[in-house]
Amino acid sequence: MSDIAVKSKAEVTPQVSGNPKAAAALDDRLAAITMPDAGFSADARADAMVRLRAMGLPAPRDEYWRYTNPSAFNAATATALPFDADGAESPLFTGRDKLTLVFVDGAFDAAASDDLSLEGVEITTLAKADAAGDHWAAGLYGQLELAGQTPVKRPFAALNTAVAHDGLLIRVTGKPSKPVHVLYRRGTADADAVWHHVIRVEDGAELTLLESGMVGARSNGMLEVDLAKGAKLHHIAAKRANDPKVGLSHIFARVGAEAQLKSFTLAVNGTLMRHEGAIDIVGDDAVAHIAAAVLGDGNVGPFHHDDTVFITHGAERGESRQVFKKVLKNGATGVFQGKILVKQGAQKTDGYQISQALLLDDNSQFLAKPELEIYADDVKCSHGSTTGAIDEEALFYLRSRGVPYDRAIVFLVLSFLADALSEVEDDDLRDDINDRLEAWLTTPPQN
Amino acid sequence: MTGTTDLEVREGVDRETVEAVQNMGSYKYGWNTEIEMEYAPKGVNEDIVRLISEKNGEPEWMTDWRLEAYRRWVTMTEPKWAMLNYPEIDYQDQYYYARPKSMEEKPRSLDDVDPKLLATYEKLGIPLKEQMILAGVEGAEDAPSEGRKVAVDAVFDSVSVGTTFKDELAKAGVIFCSISEAIREHPELVKKYLGSVVPQSDNYFATLNSAVFSDGSFVYIPEGVRCPMELSTYFRINAENTGQFERTLIIAEKGSHVSYLEGCTAPQRDISQLHAAVVEIVILEDAEVKYSTVQNWFPGDEEGKGGIYNFVTKRADCREARAKIMWTQVETGSAITWKYPSCILRGDDSQGEFYSIAIANNWQQADTGTKMIHLGKNTKSRIVSKGISAGQAQNTYRGLVSMHPRATNSRNYTQCDSLLIGDKCGAHTVPYIEVKNNSSRVEHEATTSKVDDDQLFYCRSRGMDEEEAVALVVNGFCREVLQALPMEFAMEAQALVAISLEGSVG
Amino acid sequence: MLKINNLHVKLEEEDKQILKGLTLEVPAGEVHAIMGPNGSGKSTLSYVLSGRDGYEVTDGEAELDGEDLLDMDPEVRAAAGLFLAFQYPVEIPGVGNMTFLRTAVNAQRKARGEAELTAGEFLKEVRVKAAELQISPDMLKRPVNVGFSGGEKKRNEILQMAMLSPRMCIMDETDSGLDVDAMRLVSEGVNALRSPDRSFLVITHYQRLLDHIKPDVVHIMSNGRIIKSGGPELALEVEQNGYADLLAEAD
Repeated sequence: MSDIAVKSKAEVTPQVSGNPKAAAALDDRLAAITMPDAGFSADARADAMVRLRAMGLPAPRDEYWRYTNPSAFNAATATALPFDADGAESPLFTGRDKLTLVFVDGAFDAAASDDLSLEGVEITTLAKADAAGDHWAAGLYGQLELAGQTPVKRPFAALNTAVAHDGLLIRVTGKPSKPVHVLYRRGTADADAVWHHVIRVEDGAELTLLESGMVGARSNGMLEVDLAKGAKLHHIAAKRANDPKVGLSHIFARVGAEAQLKSFTLAVNGTLMRHEGAIDIVGDDAVAHIAAAVLGDGNVGPFHHDDTVFITHGAERGESRQVFKKVLKNGATGVFQGKILVKQGAQKTDGYQISQALLLDDNSQFLAKPELEIYADDVKCSHGSTTGAIDEEALFYLRSRGVPYDRAIVFLVLSFLADALSEVEDDDLRDDINDRLEAWLTTPPQN
Repeated sequence: MTGTTDLEVREGVDRETVEAVQNMGSYKYGWNTEIEMEYAPKGVNEDIVRLISEKNGEPEWMTDWRLEAYRRWVTMTEPKWAMLNYPEIDYQDQYYYARPKSMEEKPRSLDDVDPKLLATYEKLGIPLKEQMILAGVEGAEDAPSEGRKVAVDAVFDSVSVGTTFKDELAKAGVIFCSISEAIREHPELVKKYLGSVVPQSDNYFATLNSAVFSDGSFVYIPEGVRCPMELSTYFRINAENTGQFERTLIIAEKGSHVSYLEGCTAPQRDISQLHAAVVEIVILEDAEVKYSTVQNWFPGDEEGKGGIYNFVTKRADCREARAKIMWTQVETGSAITWKYPSCILRGDDSQGEFYSIAIANNWQQADTGTKMIHLGKNTKSRIVSKGISAGQAQNTYRGLVSMHPRATNSRNYTQCDSLLIGDKCGAHTVPYIEVKNNSSRVEHEATTSKVDDDQLFYCRSRGMDEEEAVALVVNGFCREVLQALPMEFAMEAQALVAISLEGSVG
Repeated sequence: MLKINNLHVKLEEEDKQILKGLTLEVPAGEVHAIMGPNGSGKSTLSYVLSGRDGYEVTDGEAELDGEDLLDMDPEVRAAAGLFLAFQYPVEIPGVGNMTFLRTAVNAQRKARGEAELTAGEFLKEVRVKAAELQISPDMLKRPVNVGFSGGEKKRNEILQMAMLSPRMCIMDETDSGLDVDAMRLVSEGVNALRSPDRSFLVITHYQRLLDHIKPDVVHIMSNGRIIKSGGPELALEVEQNGYADLLAEAD
């Protein structure tokens, strides 16, 4: 028989960091963290720590860190960044009936939050649950993160599982009347916030999850999402605009049969951000859409935004969409690393991915690695990626109708972002976001 | 698989050759020429490098250049980033020099060429006139040629055995010879350009090639000259376990034009063979080079045994304004293909094009694509890649499009389409896109799908069997690339597409 | 109204001279047609007048009501009353047709120091005018020109013209790609807008549009210049005999 075994490349080349310097950097990183008193999550945390030590912190030469320098995430402590503690909170999502849960520097603030009761939803916090020995989240905490480590190692996700003190454990059994809103606040200038949410949506249940506000000077957020048969999660994250931050966010999800995951992120300025997605479609006829609209203006502050999103189809007739739009100017950098991976047997998969950058000046850059990795034949998968300036033809058309130059640019930027925004299902929420975008574009910078 | 292979003893024609011929199976070019070979000992070290240099009658500067490369190579590690899985290569278990014994004294004329070599060309389908010339037929040079002329520099394993049309090319001032001859006869050109596009240190395989390259082709087109005929090299790997390390250098002076064809076939072999070629192309102001390849080396058998390991570095440097390079490749062979013909668009308004068909069937693995490095203003590039996977094969397009800050007003368009035949194979797309100025526009599109059932049904309802129908549909899928090939090549390539997919359906 | 004198224009990118001394005057209230073979510079004229990038005026001038047009940004020209109906209207995904139109109307009103229309006023007006052009409410809701047929795009151009109330309307091959019914709708729209203080410059390759929109003056353009001007009968002459005789005459 063949002497050439055909396996996925990643399965045979684990990224092991045998470098003593790298090991020392990880030691320093861990030494600066106060470890939580783990209860139900103790085993998962111990396992994550072992995995983290095996893979080490990322290095700039690592394949998926070639476009984003990991040093600020690797540093032992966060660098203090100025913030406006008294500043008004973003008007986004105001005027909507919602259950608001407040986190300050990664820790739940019960006093500032609404009562944790909502029909069809069971909510506890990680810190509280960890005080006890057992919890429904025991089979999930760190498990989806673990699944997301293949085929690419994600050390900060493992770090998060190992060291997160707090987060929300949300179990949805019905169709709650209002969204759950996680509002982040910053307490100190050098806050190094880590949180880990686990969301389980049971058969046929639905939840809308909103995230907004100010995260730490440095942050590492994890959202583990487990969708049972026919479950739906609509997730919209819009961190506070123009807020200097070094942030990592993760969404690691398992999407069951007929379930639907829709996740949309809005990012407007803010130093260095990396969003990692690892979405596993495990049930037939499931849907996963991940989208982002990103605006970066290097004049507001340094700007580097990285979306590294993998969607894996492991079941039949799955539909996935990745829609990433970045508008960059004044030395801003946008990164997109996306993959559609279709496993053998995942027939009738419909996978689509689009990554586009609008460069408003010559200083900005877009670096993209849009991948397809496909092991099933009866599939329809495609991706596109474009980079360029404002469409001169459209700009002239608008101006010839009397629309002033600046206003025309705003129109064209909104036009460019429209495909990403259309991934927000709820009309009111989408209009909210569109209005905020327009406000930011018209009179930057404000929150 | 019948016939065990004796790795140790190599004494001219051996029984495996006979067995290999008997075991031809479905591989059309799977025969072996019975020619006595001369081998250097297995393995690579400084002495082997010196020996290769000496056998080629090279001057000291060349020997030193090779040794420098060798010393660098031993400090390097083999790249592992490609989506390829193959057993560790034991570089010390390869032959780095082999040539037909009858060539030990270089032939003064083609009359001296071993008739068996000429028979080899016939099997390869080298056009009649070139065969006559290669066979030394009196007056063949003046015989009317049917259709277009093609000059052939045939490479039999490691040594270039004959060059045709030399006189006519010489009249135009074109130099077309083996690289070893160029090193002796045109050292000033070789010194100036060798390693100037693919430096010795470029990558593991290119560095190895720099140390041990045995032979290859050299082309020089003087200023303003339109090469009067297409230049063609047929490569063959004939000796078992012999690394094939070709080195090709093409220089197109200002305003010149040349079309170069490279075709490759290799006999069936049980043990994987290593191949690491380097092609360097220098293109000056307003010059244009077309480089077309049809590669159908032995891909291994239906069970994944044997086949060529092909690690190739090909790069064109559009060094001056309005220089133009067009790469076209049809990759149907080899067990492992690692190949990224690239374009450095340095001159303002220079252009690079890459058209590729890669077919991987059975257990073949291909990781191939291109790099378009835009450095100059108003540079343009176009990539059209068609990948076909069948059987258990893995086929990856890997490409880089890079727009540097100074490469203003540049354009790239990339289209990568993959076709899957059967549910055990894989098709992958790994593009890298780096855009650092905003007046340039980069567009990348990729699709993956299976052979269209409606098209298949339509063909079959008109009387074709499934295999014919698939071949027809796949040829349609590849149309854009086939059209980019010179006509004679396009015909051969079309036939190859069908041959390569034999046994992939049903 | 519109005065063009000895206009010379070249393409910036190709360094190619397109207009070579074009002189033309369109008085208030008149409809002038420009006809000419392909490549005579008709579209270039419309783009230069409305201020598109990529053209360099090397000599001559163009004025609207005595004001120099050529120094103005496109939106300033629009506010000054110039309107170009595009040969190929541009699609702008994600921007609603109504939002676009209202922004344009109010930007122009603001530039002219007029009060902006409220949402209600605007809506009322646009509904009436859209109905006249048989533009459905659905088309108004859709993104600008996205998914519109050729005829719908041209009708949308005329709707914009009606809403923006320009004084000088340039129509660039508005008849191209229109079937008979669409041509009638568009022409009726234009005819309804004719008034003593509004002028039209109708650029067309064929005479048939001029059956619907009757011109006062017809100009024949060739090689970057007006080579002959006359009454509507000139268009009929072109229709019957083609351009060849006229071009020969000019040489």
